[in-house]
Amino acid sequence: MSTYVYGITARSHAGVPDGLTGVGEPPRPVRSVTAGDLVALVSDAPEGLRPKRRDLLAHQAVLAEAGAGGCVLPMRFGSVAPDDDTVADVLGERTDHYRERLDALDGRVEYNVKASHVEEAVLHRVMAESPDVRAVAEANRKAGGGSYEDKLRLGEMVAAAVKAREVEDGAALEQALESAAEAVSVGPESTGWLANVSFLVEQEAAESFLAAAEQARADMPHLEIRVNGPLPPYSFVEPGPAEPAGTTAGGADADAGAG
Amino acid sequence: MTVVPAQQSGGGGGSSGLYDVLELVLDRGLVIDAFVRVSLVGIEILKIDIRIVVASVDTYLRFAEACNRLDLEAGPRKSPGLPDIVGDITESGARGKSKGALSGAAETISDAFKEARDESRGEERPRPRKTAARRKRQEEQE
Repeated sequence: MSTYVYGITARSHAGVPDGLTGVGEPPRPVRSVTAGDLVALVSDAPEGLRPKRRDLLAHQAVLAEAGAGGCVLPMRFGSVAPDDDTVADVLGERTDHYRERLDALDGRVEYNVKASHVEEAVLHRVMAESPDVRAVAEANRKAGGGSYEDKLRLGEMVAAAVKAREVEDGAALEQALESAAEAVSVGPESTGWLANVSFLVEQEAAESFLAAAEQARADMPHLEIRVNGPLPPYSFVEPGPAEPAGTTAGGADADAGAG
Repeated sequence: MTVVPAQQSGGGGGSSGLYDVLELVLDRGLVIDAFVRVSLVGIEILKIDIRIVVASVDTYLRFAEACNRLDLEAGPRKSPGLPDIVGDITESGARGKSKGALSGAAETISDAFKEARDESRGEERPRPRKTAARRKRQEEQE
């Protein structure tokens, strides 16, 4: 029976809450594998596990529950060991590394911040700032919307201007929040957002971080800012010492966040 | 549907962010080479999205239309109702475009994301006409 691993914590952790279940259908009970100072939170791994929504949520839920009892290093979704002994061996081999991370992240949580433009507001800005764009838009409007080529030309200008604003606004947002955090990890880009940044925040400083986020919302009304947290410190666990370079999409990001 | 209370957004006005959180579960966190990882073709999805949508003809046309409609006399965020509508247009545009690029293997995870995104939006501001997504979700849970 292979073993699904949720996270790694210290032996001083409060322990697995009673009745906690994880991935699989029916959900497998969560238990612990102890080796020296460290404990891995695991369950049996269901056959044919795939990244279904239910299982992603189960993984997240186990880490959230366990995180209430002390710092847990969250595994990425889908980590499966051949058996419990292998898990114990890994804990034993890398005790120092995990202990260091657990100490470093103790009492800290991750807040992930994503922002996107309120489209109408950013288009307003772009139009207001660029006489060229305004002129082309005006000409198109007078021509009853303009030809296909006219529209493409306008749209391309606007898209470029919006893109430039995305970069500026993303940087401004990061800057507005970084002073309220201990560490910053920039996540992968995507079209869904202009900023995807995780902040490591001391639990006791969470209020001031959230206040900074509120302030950013007020200062940048053309952004829709989404703050998610407190979360397990996914972005601050560092890649393991023996992780082959380039195996995972998030490796570089984790590197960036470790400093 | 159950959302873990501890994971709720701490910031006022933020969404419940299920989609945002799933991205972290899949793309961050500790990786140990002695363990096998479940095949997660879907991790690439976030990156696929970038290339498809940013500079497409559809985006240009949409921006052009939006600019033609834009009333420059009004303030940049005059009506708090408007951003929602604009957001919907953006979403459906991006979703339509990414569809063709997804391989079959990636569909599971892409569904998970879409559902999560639908769901978090739904919780945030309930809207009619969610029945298709809901039906789909029920099917999956069965």
